[in-house]
Amino acid sequence: MVETVIQAVINGLLIGGIYALVSIGVTLIFGVVKIVNFAQGEFVMIGMYITFFLFSYLGIDPLLSLFVSMPVLFTIGVLVQHFLIRRVLGPNDMPQIFLTFALSLLLLNLSLLLFSANYRTVHTFYSDEAFHFGAFYVPVAKLIAFVVAMGLSGVLWAFLHTTDLGKAMRAASQNRDVATLMGINPNRVFAVAFGAALALAGAAGSLLMPFYSAYPFVGQIFVLMAFVAVVLGTLGNVVGALIASLMMGIAESLGIQFVGADSGLIVVFAMLLLTLAFKPSGLGGGRVR
Amino acid sequence: MAGLNKWTWLALAMLVAVLLALPQIVTSSFAVDIFIRILLFSFIGVAWNLIGGYAKQLSLGHAAFFGLGAYTSTIMQVDFGISPWIGMVAGGVVAMLASLPIGWLCFRLHGPYFTIATIATAQALMLIFLKFRDLAWGAEGTTIPNLGSSPLMMQFETKASYYYVVLGLLALGLAITWRIERSWMGYYLVAIGENEDAAEAIGVNAARIKRDIFMISSFLTALAGTFYVQYIYFIDPATAFNFSISIEAALVSIVGGIGTLWGPVIGTVLLETTSALLQSWLGSSTGGIQLTVYALILMAVILWRPTGLIGLVTEAWRRRPDSQPARVESP
Repeated sequence: MVETVIQAVINGLLIGGIYALVSIGVTLIFGVVKIVNFAQGEFVMIGMYITFFLFSYLGIDPLLSLFVSMPVLFTIGVLVQHFLIRRVLGPNDMPQIFLTFALSLLLLNLSLLLFSANYRTVHTFYSDEAFHFGAFYVPVAKLIAFVVAMGLSGVLWAFLHTTDLGKAMRAASQNRDVATLMGINPNRVFAVAFGAALALAGAAGSLLMPFYSAYPFVGQIFVLMAFVAVVLGTLGNVVGALIASLMMGIAESLGIQFVGADSGLIVVFAMLLLTLAFKPSGLGGGRVR
Repeated sequence: MAGLNKWTWLALAMLVAVLLALPQIVTSSFAVDIFIRILLFSFIGVAWNLIGGYAKQLSLGHAAFFGLGAYTSTIMQVDFGISPWIGMVAGGVVAMLASLPIGWLCFRLHGPYFTIATIATAQALMLIFLKFRDLAWGAEGTTIPNLGSSPLMMQFETKASYYYVVLGLLALGLAITWRIERSWMGYYLVAIGENEDAAEAIGVNAARIKRDIFMISSFLTALAGTFYVQYIYFIDPATAFNFSISIEAALVSIVGGIGTLWGPVIGTVLLETTSALLQSWLGSSTGGIQLTVYALILMAVILWRPTGLIGLVTEAWRRRPDSQPARVESP
């Protein structure tokens, strides 16, 4: 019994690292640009398809394709911010919500048209390998994904706290008007934030590929998880999103283990509804960091 | 429609006459099926527009109420033999009651996070109906027994009869919206939609108004759910709580004109006609093409005409003969 719980926690923690990459992206965009990107999951999907095609046509290992998927997604992010998002920034919620929502619908259905609904998988030499620690096992691919995800989160945190551009982004997230008065160019900051968030989504896609299937709807799971994690971890808070994502990974895994294979999401929704009912400002307590 | 002068009445009378005659003139069942879809999604859009358009609470979880309405009437009919006409109203009441806790939770969040919370509640309801087989048939769903022609059980031989039922629903939705638009509630809703804090500062009880309009919107959406499953004789969680219902409810209103009486109708006519044309050109084996086109239309509207296409129609309406200043024609 205890072993089962610990094994479920290990599995949940590992997948939680991937959820963290997606939710940090969502919370970064929300914190800096003040919009919710409904299409974040579709960018994970694009990262997965990039990784799949690089592997199946050029034989490039999913981990190496990080160096393709991240810059490509960063560029897409800057373009999306420049040509679409920039035009709807303002006090009105409706265009912002439904523009990224339309983008999500568009990308999802285009990939359905182009790639069909088939599940695509990549089988690497480490896909089936696992480390054994006594009664527990840790799949290699998931461990690599977790470690790289945590590393990238750390890099982002260091970027936000040590570089001028990162500090400008945090300043813009605290008070856009004052930041602009201090000489920060909001358009540049927004473009970098959007690009960075999408690069993280792309990284999530590449890291997932050795143990997860790519299909057009795959992003929906991750974006739903990310939204719950971002609410749970207090909107706009990067560290909060990271911790909440790991918790959700664990909760989902325990749900699958003890309630039933299709019950992971029920546990996640229950967490969201309980948070809303008892602590709507999120577990971080309301301060945006 | 503010003045309701003779031209408005005339146009309205003509519209009603055309709509009543339509299924008698065009009898192809393919065409009537499209008309029914247009009226049904117009009605769902009108119901969504009350909370989403006027109060700007952008729900993407209206499938929850659609599904609750559909399941309530179907359970009453299949398990207890109660007519769906009664079930339809009962479903509306169930959805209305469900909107209280759902609203209590979701209205704690604002803007996009309200939207996300509504998506999550609708998905959670679908999972509950999928998971708990004792509640209602689980994932397989059930077919609704076909009793032949029995209007008392909301089953008709001709598609035209279904057409008139859903036309009546749409008329009900429009009448309620028209009435609310002109009441103190309508003004409070618009005030909340424009700026909730400012509305509260001048004494609008935003929480109560939002709760009440959410109840009305849920009730109407549930009626559509009952109608839909009666029309297709089948129910399962994926049909009744389909996310695309939530999407289309919001989409038709935004494309047509958010927070306007006729916006959802105009939006539905455009989107459903486009979808029907695409289907007849490309065949039905085109997964993704319909929503791809919907997404492009939605993006175009948001970027270039965020108030919706209704502006084009009202501009044309203002150019009607009697509204122009008298002109001296040169001989």
